[in-house]
Amino acid sequence: MLLFWVLAALMTFAAALAVMLPFLRRREEATAGSAHDLAVYRDQLAELEQELARGLISRPDAQQARAEIGRRILRLQEEEKAAGQSVQARRAGTVRAIAAAAVLAVPAVSWGLYAFLGSPGLPALPLAARLNADPAQAPLEELIARAEAHLADNPQDARGWEVLAPVYARLGRFGDAAAAYRRTIALAGPSAARHAALGEALVGEASGIVTADAEAAFAEALGLDADNPRARFFIAMARAQEGKTEEARALWQQMAAELPPDSPWREMAGQAAASLSAAGPSEADIAAAQDMSPEARREMIEGMVAGLDARLREEPGDAEAWRRLLRSYVVLDRREEARAALQRALAAFGADSREGQALAEFARELGIDDEGR
Amino acid sequence: MTRKQKRLAVIGTGMGFLALAAALTFYALGQQTSYFYMPADLAAKPAAAGERIRLGGLVEQGSVVRGEGTRVRFAVTDHESSVMVVYDGILPDLFREEQGVVTEGVLGADGVLVADTVLAKHDETYMPREVAESLKERGVWQEQ
Amino acid sequence: MSVELGHFALVLALALALVQSSVPLAGARLGSPSLMRVGEPTAIAGLGLVAIAFAVLTLAYVRSDFSVLNVWENSHSAKPLLFKITGTWGNHEGSMLLWVLILSLFGALVAAFGRNLPPTLRANVLAVQGLIATAFLAFILFTSNPFTRLVPAPMQGRDLNPILQDIGLAIHPPLLYLGYVGFSIAFSFAVAALIDGRIDAAWARWVRPWTLAAWAFLTGGIAMGSYWAYYELGWGGFWFWDPVENASFMPWLAGTALLHSAIVMEKRSALKIWTVLLAILTFSLSLLGTFLVRSGVLTSVHAFATDPTRGVFILAILVFFIGGALALFALRAAALAPGGLFHPISREGALVLNNLLLTTVTATVLVGTLYPLVVEAVTGEKISVGAPFFNLTFVPLFLPLLAVVPFGPMLAWKRGDLAGAFQRLHLAFAAATVVAFLSFFLVDRASALAALGIGLGLWLVFGALTDLAVKSGVGKAGPAVALRRLKGLPLSVFGTALAHAGLGLAVLGVVCVTTLEEEHILTMQPGQTVEAGDHRLRFEGLRPFTGPNYTEEQAHFALFGADSLRRGSIVSSKRLYTARGMPTTEAGIRTIGLSQLYVSIGDETADGGLVVRVWWKPQVTLIWIGALVMMLGGMVSLCDRRLRIGAPARRRAEAAAGEAA
Repeated sequence: MLLFWVLAALMTFAAALAVMLPFLRRREEATAGSAHDLAVYRDQLAELEQELARGLISRPDAQQARAEIGRRILRLQEEEKAAGQSVQARRAGTVRAIAAAAVLAVPAVSWGLYAFLGSPGLPALPLAARLNADPAQAPLEELIARAEAHLADNPQDARGWEVLAPVYARLGRFGDAAAAYRRTIALAGPSAARHAALGEALVGEASGIVTADAEAAFAEALGLDADNPRARFFIAMARAQEGKTEEARALWQQMAAELPPDSPWREMAGQAAASLSAAGPSEADIAAAQDMSPEARREMIEGMVAGLDARLREEPGDAEAWRRLLRSYVVLDRREEARAALQRALAAFGADSREGQALAEFARELGIDDEGR
Repeated sequence: MTRKQKRLAVIGTGMGFLALAAALTFYALGQQTSYFYMPADLAAKPAAAGERIRLGGLVEQGSVVRGEGTRVRFAVTDHESSVMVVYDGILPDLFREEQGVVTEGVLGADGVLVADTVLAKHDETYMPREVAESLKERGVWQEQ
Repeated sequence: MSVELGHFALVLALALALVQSSVPLAGARLGSPSLMRVGEPTAIAGLGLVAIAFAVLTLAYVRSDFSVLNVWENSHSAKPLLFKITGTWGNHEGSMLLWVLILSLFGALVAAFGRNLPPTLRANVLAVQGLIATAFLAFILFTSNPFTRLVPAPMQGRDLNPILQDIGLAIHPPLLYLGYVGFSIAFSFAVAALIDGRIDAAWARWVRPWTLAAWAFLTGGIAMGSYWAYYELGWGGFWFWDPVENASFMPWLAGTALLHSAIVMEKRSALKIWTVLLAILTFSLSLLGTFLVRSGVLTSVHAFATDPTRGVFILAILVFFIGGALALFALRAAALAPGGLFHPISREGALVLNNLLLTTVTATVLVGTLYPLVVEAVTGEKISVGAPFFNLTFVPLFLPLLAVVPFGPMLAWKRGDLAGAFQRLHLAFAAATVVAFLSFFLVDRASALAALGIGLGLWLVFGALTDLAVKSGVGKAGPAVALRRLKGLPLSVFGTALAHAGLGLAVLGVVCVTTLEEEHILTMQPGQTVEAGDHRLRFEGLRPFTGPNYTEEQAHFALFGADSLRRGSIVSSKRLYTARGMPTTEAGIRTIGLSQLYVSIGDETADGGLVVRVWWKPQVTLIWIGALVMMLGGMVSLCDRRLRIGAPARRRAEAAAGEAA
C-alpha cells in the first residue's frame, strides 16, 4: 500500500523532471533550421558527384541537377534572411509561465485522473499466491482451482482427473465433468464405471435428456460389463424418453428383480418402473426422492416425467395424467414444456370440451396459460 | 508538342484511367455484390433462379443429411420458412444444428441453393452479423 | 499493487502526452528553444510509462491475476505460457495498449534520433505525435481500460479464443501495428510542415526513413496475417478481401505511393503538395482501419448503434485528425511553391504513373470496403462485396502497374529515354516471355492467363536484376570491374531491386496458386489413397491425442513421392479446446520445394470413412517469400547511408553556409 504511493510519487517526480529537463540544462543557442536543410543539400551534391564518377548519370544531366540543388540552397538563404527580420522577440515571462504550468500539470492531471479511475487499495492477486494460501480455509471453488492448476502441470495424471470428475458433476459443471471423464478414459483406459459416469455427466449436461452421445457411452459401459447398473438404468430411461414405454418398463423391472437388495439402483429402478405404470411420479415417489442425493433425485424425477410425457403422446386420453404432467413441469420449473404440454392436451380433448376447460382452469391455477405468455 | 499540350496529354491519360476505374467499380458493384436473404425473405420475394445470393439463418433441427460421399444437404430456417441447401465439401468446425450459418451460392430453378461457401459463426460469441440481426428482428434468437 | 502501478503509469503517460502536444507547439510560436525541446524528454519518458503499463498487464496475464477484468475475460490458468503472454494483445483493450505503445515508440525514436531535423520541425512533429497519443490514451482510459479490476476475483479465467491461440497471432498484430502506426510519423511530419508553412526537398528526405520503416513492417505484418489465415482457418485461402484485411491493405497501398512520391520530392522538389496530401491520407487510412476493426462497426452496424461509446470515441478521433489535417492542408497548400518541371517520359513521370495507379486501386478497395456499410446504413439492405468485386476491379487496375514497374528505375530524371530503357530490358523481357510460353505448353492445365501471369511475375524479377546489372555496368566493363561497381552501389539501389523482385515473386506465387492449384474433396477409408500434384497420400487412420488444454482426433496420412517412395507423413486434426468446448481444425501442411500439400479433415461418415480435403498448392510459399523479400528491400534501403546523415556538427554547417554564400 505505502510502497504503491511511494513508487507513484517517484514516477510522477520523474515525469515532471522530464518536462523540466530542457530548462535545467545550460542554455545553448539552437542551430538555425536552415543549417539542417543545408546539410541535406550538400549531401545531395556529394551524391551527385559519386553517381557521375560511377557513370550512372550523364555529364549534362549532372550539370543540370547541380544547378537545381544550387538554386535550392540560394532560396534557403533568402528565406532565412526574410525569417531573420521577423524573428519574434522572446517573451521570457510568457515562456516561464508556460514552463511552470506544464510542470505543474503533470502531477495535477495524473493524480486527479487516477483518483477518479483507479483502485489504489486493491492488491494484485496472482493465482499462484492465492493457491498457496492455507487450504483449510479455502472454499470448495478454490480447492477445485488448485486441482485444476495441478492437472494443468500434470495433464497425464489420470487419478487427478478421476477424483475431479465427480466433484464437477456434484457442482453441476457437467460439461467439465464429461471432459474429465473422457480424459480419465483416455489416460487410464476404459472401464464400465467410467463410461457409465461419463454418460451420466452427458445426461446432466443435456438437462436430463439421454442424448445419442450419452447413450453411446452407456452402450460402451455395457459392452465392458453387461451388469453395470448405472448404464442399464439410463439405457432404460433412454427407451422411456423415446416413448418405448413397454421396453423401458421391462428393463427397469428386470433390474429391480436382478439386483441385490442392498443396491441403491434396485430401488430406483423399481420406482422408475412403477412410475411408468402409474403414469407419473406419485407423491410417495417424490417423498422417497427427498432422501436421495440431489443429482440422483433430479435424474429420477426427470426420468419419470419424461416417461409420463412419452406415454401421453401415445395415449392422450387420460386427463388425470395430464394434470400430473403439468404439475411436474411446474415443480421442475420447466414452464415452456408445461405450456407445450397444455397445448397438446387441449388439442387432444378439444379446447371447448368439458375436460379441456377443466384442464385450462387447472393450468391457470398453476400459473400457466395457453396464450403462450 | 508544346509544354501545354504535353501537360494536357498527361492529365488526359490520368483522367481516362480514373474514368476507367470508376466505370469498372460501378459495373462491379452492380454485378458482383450478392444480396443477403433470410428464408422468409425468399418466400416473400423469390430471387431469380441462377442468381448468386447469400442465405442466412439457423441450420434446421434434424435436416442435415450426409452420406452421398462429401455431399451434404441441410435446410436453413428462420422458423418461418426454410430453404434446402446442397454443399459439397467440408463443413466449418462450428456447423451444428440450431446454430447460425451463412451460405453463399447460386439458387437453382428448383429452389435449392447450391452453395460453394458455408460459414458458421467464428467463435462461441460471434454470430454471423446478418443472421444475428435478422433473427433478432424476428425474435427467434437472443444474445445471452 | 503492481497492477495499480501500471494503471497509474498509463494515467501519467496521458498527462505527459498533454504536455508534449502543447508546450513544443507554443515554443515554436514564441521562438523559445527551451519550450521546443520539451517534446524530446517527454516523448521518451512517455514511452517508458506506456511500456511500464504494458509490462504490468503482461505480468498480470503471466501470473493469471483474475482480479483484472481483462485477464479474467481473455485468459485461463491452463494456457501455455507463450499464449498467456500473447493473450495480452489478443483482445480489444490489450491491443489498443499495444497500439499506443508502438505510437510512443515511434515518437521516442524521433526524439532520440531526430537530431538532424530543424528544431522547429522536430518540435512540431513531436507535438502532433503527442496529440495523437493523447487522443488514444484518453480512448483507452475512458472507454477500454485494461486495468479495470474485478472484485471478488474469480479463480479461473474464461480462456482465449482457441483460434487466436497461435504463434502467428503472437507476431502478426505487433508487426501490423508497427506498420499501421508507423505511418503516424509521416502524418506528423506533414502536419508539422503545414503548421510551419515551409516544405522543401529536405523534408522528403527526413520523412523517408520513417515511411520506409513503417512500410517494411506493414508489408511483413500483412504477409504474416495472410499466412496465419491460410494455415489456421483450414480453408486453404491466403487472402479473403475481408474488411479487416482491407483495413491493413489500404494504408499499405497508399504508403507505397507515398514512398515513391517522396523520392520525386527529394530529388526534384516536385509533387510537394501531393506528397504531403498522401502522407495525411496514408495515416488517415490507418486510423480508418483502426476504427473499422475496433469500433465493432464491421460485426454489426446495429451493435454499433446500440453501444456506441467506443465507436463514437474513435470516430471523433478520426474526424478530428483527418478533418483537422485536411483543413490545415487546404489553408496552407496554396502557399507552397511549385516544384520543378519534367517530361512525361522520365523517372518522375513513371513515379507519377505509379502514384496514379496506386491511389486509384486504393480508392477501389476503399469503395468496396465501405459500400456495404453505407448501403446498410442508408437503405437497411444487407449486401456483401466479396472477392468477385475485387477480382474485377483491383486486378485489372493493378496489372498495368506491374507491367511498367521495371521501366521506372531505368528512366533518367527529367527526361527519360523509353526506347533506351526497353533496349536494356529486352533480355529480361525475352526471358520472361520464353518462360511464359514454355509454361503454357509444358505445364498441364496452364491457361493463357496463367502463362501471362507467370510471365508478368518473372518480368518483374528479371527487370529488377537487369536494373542492378545495368547500374553496375555488366556488359560494358569487365566482370571484375562490374563486381566492384556492384559492391559500390548505394544500398537504396539494392533496396529498390529487392522490393521490385519481391513483388514479382509474390505475383508469381499468387498466379501459380490461383490458376494451377489442385483440389480434391473425397471420403477416405483407412488404406485408401489420393493423388495430388505429383504425390500420393494414403490415409492411415484416426488416432486420439491429448494436448495441454485440448483433446484431438488426429488423421494420419502417409506421403509418397512420384517415385512411390515414402516421403514422411502428414497429420491433420480436429481439435477440441476443453475450457470453451470449442472445436477447431488444424490443417496438415507439408512444404515440398516451394509448393505445399495442404490437408484438412471434416466429419466422419456413417460407414467409417472420413471427409478429406486435399489441396496441391504449387509455388504457394512464393507469396510470403516475395513479401519477405519486399520487406528486406525496405530494410536494406533503410540502412542506406544517406538516410542517416546526422545533424551537421555546428561548425561544419556554418562553414557550409559560408561556403555556399
